[in-house]
Amino acid sequence: MTDRISYRFCQGLRARQAEAERSMLEEFARGEYTLEKPFIRRNPYLINPLSAVIGFRTREETAVTVTVLGKRREGTVSHTFPKSREHLLPVLGLYGGYDNQVELRLYEGQARRFTIATEELGEGVPSLLSLHREPEYICEDLCFFTPSLGALATAFDAWGEVRWHLTVPVIFEMTPLKNGNFLIGTERVVEMPYYVSGLYEMTMMGKIVKEYAIPGGFHHDQLEMEDGNILALTEGESYETVEDMVVLLDRKTGEIRRTWDLKNCLTPGEGASGGCTPRDWFHGNALFYDPNTHSITLSGRHVDAIVNIDYDTGELNWILGDPETWPADKQSYFFARTGEGEFDWPYEQHGCLVTPDGGIMCFDNGHYRSKIREKFRLNKDSFSRGVLYRIDRETMTIEQLWQYGKERGEEFFSSYIGNVAWYGEDHYLVHSGGIQYDGAHASERPAALYQRDPRIRGESITVEVFRGKVIWEMKLKGNFYRARKLLLYHEQENLPLGEGSFVGRMGVTPEFGTQIPAELCKELLPARYEAELVEEEDRFVFQAVFEGGQVVMLMLENESEEHGYFISTAKNKFNALCCGAFIKKDPRNITLNVNKAGLWGVFDVRVIVDGKKYETGIRIACGDQKRE
Amino acid sequence: MLREITEDEFYEDIREGLVLADFYSPTCGPCKMLSFVLEDVDKACKDRAEIVKINVDENERLAEKYGIIAYPTMILLKNGEELKRVIGLQQKPAILKMIEEA
Repeated sequence: MTDRISYRFCQGLRARQAEAERSMLEEFARGEYTLEKPFIRRNPYLINPLSAVIGFRTREETAVTVTVLGKRREGTVSHTFPKSREHLLPVLGLYGGYDNQVELRLYEGQARRFTIATEELGEGVPSLLSLHREPEYICEDLCFFTPSLGALATAFDAWGEVRWHLTVPVIFEMTPLKNGNFLIGTERVVEMPYYVSGLYEMTMMGKIVKEYAIPGGFHHDQLEMEDGNILALTEGESYETVEDMVVLLDRKTGEIRRTWDLKNCLTPGEGASGGCTPRDWFHGNALFYDPNTHSITLSGRHVDAIVNIDYDTGELNWILGDPETWPADKQSYFFARTGEGEFDWPYEQHGCLVTPDGGIMCFDNGHYRSKIREKFRLNKDSFSRGVLYRIDRETMTIEQLWQYGKERGEEFFSSYIGNVAWYGEDHYLVHSGGIQYDGAHASERPAALYQRDPRIRGESITVEVFRGKVIWEMKLKGNFYRARKLLLYHEQENLPLGEGSFVGRMGVTPEFGTQIPAELCKELLPARYEAELVEEEDRFVFQAVFEGGQVVMLMLENESEEHGYFISTAKNKFNALCCGAFIKKDPRNITLNVNKAGLWGVFDVRVIVDGKKYETGIRIACGDQKRE
Repeated sequence: MLREITEDEFYEDIREGLVLADFYSPTCGPCKMLSFVLEDVDKACKDRAEIVKINVDENERLAEKYGIIAYPTMILLKNGEELKRVIGLQQKPAILKMIEEA
């Protein structure tokens, strides 16, 4: 008989990486490592099994080139590091489950080859279904895919080999930074289904250089401003409405310097798309800052439109979308179609961007493909595409310049995710990341909720189109939020050392204001609920199994305070899921995340289930209190 | 006081004044939770609005007529006309605000 439910304390990833790095540096400092007998540490930051660090010392200062030999000549990954006597070098682009041949070559000097054996990669690696590449296609960049469902962030080379992979579910967009690092959403969910604590600034090795906590959580997209600050998508800390705010984060301190609330320029419920809900009325899934117009362009899936707001005032500049159903006072913000060419409006689109000459691109999912319920198109009869429009803000007219994907019909249809990239004039990437088949046709059901249904088959198709011709196409098994091409190495610090920092502020988890009557039964929460509490430094996660219809609340109680958190046991809690990576297989599984922010003292954790208040046997210390 | 009503009573009840109709299912956790919230709301809003509860499993025709696709769904009606509709569990301040603004 135990006196508490399952409990464990989990050190954060940043701290575990710092410990691993310290141990690596100590070991390297202790040894006499040479070119002939170097120090090798595989997966030094614990989450990138296709990386390693090689260390050795030379008598003279010299530059060193590290080369991972490709399975084919074109797959070779190489980088030259600046001269030094002590060489601690990151190795990237290893193959999984393979005896990798790695060469170290000194500048104008000798070279040595070593074998770095890697283990087979786990279940989180996506499978390649097909690859098309024009014979003349040469590309050193890897194509990075970020998670939407079960598979984890992974990058393939142009020949379809996995060369980079992270074993934690960091999610959403992967944005390269000017310093060579990238930004990606953390794996620390603060509110289901996918609102995470903030952003990680990470190296390609998988090391967290900085963690930016955002009080309202983070979702979908972020970018680096010209001055280094970060623009990110978020929502209010109360989560009453979601996915309708933009914040500017101070790069150094993580503090919120500015906030743009879309509710100030749009009215929730107006121009609603087929998937719109009162809470998730806008569903901002992409943002872009255009210095030419000093404005922010946002993709609002649940208004079927791309909207542009003034950076300084937050006022609405224009709306790109089907003007049908929008009220009269918004009509002047819409563009009128011009030209005789083919034209379609975007519906429930993703991944908007502004091209250098002011064109507007997006991935037009085409979900419902109408704003009128009676005209909604079935997924199997619709199409998705990458599309480029030219807008004229003087005449408020719009012309469709380019598209790819419409001709492929349901084969290329993604109801809920996707993106585009602009590489130059008539050179684009289109990623249809959420293709779902139910039998022979496109599934009509929300992808993330049916990801484990054996009848559902998920695919992702990514194409690079140059002058109207597909020069590269990769089809993967599973769904992927976004695709982006990046190099593994850059010309700045590829292996920054030292403990990663934490900036910003975790939000205060919203409490449920109504107390429900419950009998204090002084019994431990029964084992049948399979409850577990995982505590981290700044929050805890309660997981359990409850049947649909049960009324459940988690309580934090001490002599003077009581805090209640409602736990929904509804079967279908989520609607528009761009990322279902955190959705449990069994819908009876619930997860409640409670941040310690805003709480002070030591609290007994109790759980009310259907009118009975049970003990968990766990006390949580918040603020400067210690756990007992 | 919160009242459980049937389809027949519904049309009579909504004819005049402000009525908040809670379409719920007895097998739904958030619906049960909303009942506690509505009890609080009822005390706070006094006579400003009448709050009625409709079991969608027993009043399918009414639920269909009002296009109830998820529960709980609350519909605020004034003299029989729908003013506002909210889907999902809401907290007391949000419901009170909705009633006050009607």
